[in-house]
Amino acid sequence: MKLTFSEYCRALFVLLLLESNLALADSLMITVTDSAGNPVPDAVVYAEAAAGQVLPKAALHPVEIEQRKRKFIPKVTVVQIGTEISFPNNDSVKHHVYSFSPAKVFDLPLYSGKTADPQLFDKQGTVVLGCNIHDQMIAYVQVVNTPYFVKTDVSGKGKLDNVLPGKYVLKAWYYSLPPNAQVVEQPIALIGGDSSAVFKLNIKLDAPAN
Amino acid sequence: MKLRFRTLESRIVTLFLLLMLVVQLAGFFVIRSGIVRNEQASIRDQLALGTPLFQRLLEQRAGEKLSSARVLAKDFGFVKAVGTNDKETIESSLTNSRDRIKASRALLVGTNRQIIASTATQSSGNLEYSILQLVDKAEKATNADDGAEALSLLDNQPYQVLVVPVKAPILLGWVAMAFPLDQRIAKEMQELSSLDVTFLVSGKNGEWVAGASTLSEAEANSVAEQLRGVAPGATSEKTLRVAESDYSTEVRPLVAVPEQSAVIVFQRSIDVAIEPYLELQRNMMKITAVLILAAIVTSFLAAKRIASPLRDLTETAKRLGDGNYEGQIEIRREDEIGKLSRAFEIMRDGIAKREHEIRRLAYWDTLTDLPNRAQFAVRLDNAIRAARDRGGSCYVLMMDLDRFKNVNDVLGHNFGDALLQQVAVRLAKTVGEEYPIARLGGDEFAVLMPMTDLARAKTVAASILASLERPISLEEQTVDLGAGIGIAGFPGHGADAESLLSRAEVAMYAAKMSGNEAVMYDPVLDKTSQESLSLLSELRRALDQNEFRLFVQPKTMLDSGDFVGVEALVRWQHPEKGMIYPDHFIPFSEKTGFIRALTRWMLEQAAMLGRDLKAQGIEAKISVNLSARDLLDQNLPIKFGEILRRYDVVATSFCLEITESSIMDDPLRALATLEGLHAMGVELSIDDFGTGYSSLAYLKRLPVDELKIDKSFVMNMERDADDAKIVRSTIDLGHNMGLRVVAEGIESEAVWQILAKMGCDQAQGYFISRPIAASQLVAWIEHWVPPGRKAEALVNHG
Repeated sequence: MKLTFSEYCRALFVLLLLESNLALADSLMITVTDSAGNPVPDAVVYAEAAAGQVLPKAALHPVEIEQRKRKFIPKVTVVQIGTEISFPNNDSVKHHVYSFSPAKVFDLPLYSGKTADPQLFDKQGTVVLGCNIHDQMIAYVQVVNTPYFVKTDVSGKGKLDNVLPGKYVLKAWYYSLPPNAQVVEQPIALIGGDSSAVFKLNIKLDAPAN
Repeated sequence: MKLRFRTLESRIVTLFLLLMLVVQLAGFFVIRSGIVRNEQASIRDQLALGTPLFQRLLEQRAGEKLSSARVLAKDFGFVKAVGTNDKETIESSLTNSRDRIKASRALLVGTNRQIIASTATQSSGNLEYSILQLVDKAEKATNADDGAEALSLLDNQPYQVLVVPVKAPILLGWVAMAFPLDQRIAKEMQELSSLDVTFLVSGKNGEWVAGASTLSEAEANSVAEQLRGVAPGATSEKTLRVAESDYSTEVRPLVAVPEQSAVIVFQRSIDVAIEPYLELQRNMMKITAVLILAAIVTSFLAAKRIASPLRDLTETAKRLGDGNYEGQIEIRREDEIGKLSRAFEIMRDGIAKREHEIRRLAYWDTLTDLPNRAQFAVRLDNAIRAARDRGGSCYVLMMDLDRFKNVNDVLGHNFGDALLQQVAVRLAKTVGEEYPIARLGGDEFAVLMPMTDLARAKTVAASILASLERPISLEEQTVDLGAGIGIAGFPGHGADAESLLSRAEVAMYAAKMSGNEAVMYDPVLDKTSQESLSLLSELRRALDQNEFRLFVQPKTMLDSGDFVGVEALVRWQHPEKGMIYPDHFIPFSEKTGFIRALTRWMLEQAAMLGRDLKAQGIEAKISVNLSARDLLDQNLPIKFGEILRRYDVVATSFCLEITESSIMDDPLRALATLEGLHAMGVELSIDDFGTGYSSLAYLKRLPVDELKIDKSFVMNMERDADDAKIVRSTIDLGHNMGLRVVAEGIESEAVWQILAKMGCDQAQGYFISRPIAASQLVAWIEHWVPPGRKAEALVNHG
């Protein structure tokens, strides 16, 4: 089926269900499904501060994306701006990890083990990682400008903990969504206590996502 | 047309060739029609193969180009440039790749379907349209990394367009490249398929514009022109005429974009397609020519094999015609010609045998197995030639048996033949092998004595005669044979066989007549012989033509001088030679037996004369001579009796004169005849008395009435006392035996007087009268005056 760009955007319209606006925010349960209602693992959901909302300063921890069996593990990584990611090579072959994504352009020519320098991801956006030698190796790094982010598990669920009450915009990202597609988002106000949010993405998981 | 063949060979060769040509022509036309059919099918097949083949060619090229494009799409530098949106680098990289891959255009299309970069400054709607369609197509493919390719149109030219994704590692965009369907691919297609390829793009008014082509530009335009009106989407099969050559043509749709389309035209030159077959046909014609040549040679050889023995046979036949029976006839072959040869040989043997037999009959005497006259003549000629060459001489002896005819008559022909065989044996024994002998015919034999002299010839002749003196005993009979031999020789008597033989024959007759038993040829003999050669036929003619004349010589009494009778004589009034005397033809007549006819004539004439004299009252005794042969004729008395009756004259008016020798040939039969005549009353007289050897005892038994003293005694008695004594004795003897004595040859009155004194009865001779024609007799009688009365007569008349 042929879709134009605008039609595509319209199809991404998300149903956002709010159970309660006044709950004391403590944690936020996230569920992501595809258009058929199946759980979507490895989806990234993060909450950006709405206008006027101040985000707490969180400590940044280095992150690793290892290469094993000619794969990036994990395939999808979400980090806050300013996080350093190292790329240990646990394969016996060498890898050449690169990214030409505007959020982070880097190039780690052939190396083995942990000899490659960690890279600082200091721009918000999606970074697609590849290996110049192994075309099938692909990994995604979603760099977000908030400490509240989560990656869904195999059941398509995730949980944002210790979110300060306030107004946020919840955004969902999935790697198979077209790179220049508009981010699926929903505003949310947290007042304390647990709450939950559901994203239904206009994708179909059965189709091989690339 | 009717062909004429002079030889068997040309007939066979021509037949062979005609057959060959017919077969070859038939083959030629069958093959030709096969070629045409086959080629039409083959062209159809080739054209039909054009489309799939071209498809494969495009796929193959697309595959190669895709690979090349993929190299670009994977190039890390390029990907980086795309990823970082380094437009300048992207364009330069595209240009570089375009040139490397030999594309005419290269573009980069973003994931948002916007053209990010292009090697061309101007855009082409058709191309972009095709590229976007391709991107969609590629995206939907199970493996988008493979990219996609399709045909498109750009600037009135068909293009092959392909897209491959650029990933880093997610999709960043698409590299698109366009390759024109140009001369190169057309040529490549032609090399693969032997088809001419032309790309046509639709123009403004439904006409076609020629693109790349394996044909020249003008030819391609001509194709485009001829295909005007052919719908772009339709396939079409047409025969086009391009550049003086027929092309089977197939039009196939190639690509269609909005408002324009392109077709590919496959063409097969019928002429070019047929060319290999024409070459085949030319080769076949060459083979035909070679075959015909070979056929000419083989058929010529075969014909020669048939005809040359025939020619040999013809040669043999010609040789046979010339009488040459030599030479082997080739009969190794078992075919018809072999049979013909065999038949020929049988024929040759048969002819040879028959000719041998004919030759034998022609040259050999079958009775005695001696060479015959013809062969003898040939041998004689050879001997003459040899003698002439060596300057010698050769002789021929010719022998004729005496009394052989009598033997044949009395003892029969079988006895005669046996006798001749005995003579041949004796002759051969006597002569020896040195001299060839021959039987010339009848009882004539001849001996050839080559390279010899006269003395030897005479010796041999003498020995032959001596050998024949011994009587021959045969069938309990003993025959005493004699022979006459004539001798003639080269170079003395003749220069060729015929003349020698005839001269030997003349000599032989002379020998037989003379009693001298071997006579050498002498030209004097020849005169007689020349006359006698055709004498017999002339005598016969003389009898028919009444050329004989009766002459008479008067006889008178010696005492009274009175006329008493005549001796009838014959003369031959020859129309050319004039009067011929009996000496010249009587001996010959006696020898040949003609004398019997002549005697019969004489008897008739005598009878006529008697009748005439009687009619005139003249009394005369007419004497007629009889030969030995007449005496052998037992019927003579009867025949004479008839004549006398016919002329009404009496027998006593006639006297028949015989010689002693004529009786001696066969005394008994002669006596019988004489007695028969005597019984009739005819008087008989012994003529030429005194010359023979007859015994008086025998003479006494003969019923004779008269003796005629031979004129040789009478004519000489006036001078020769001995002759006078003989005459006197004879007169006395005759008188004593009671016979009348007549003297012949009285030529003077003195002799007349002496004879008168001797008491001789009658006289005959020139003194009284020469022989005169019978018609003059009466006149003579009237004028006859006896000698004693001459004076008286003179006185009386005086």
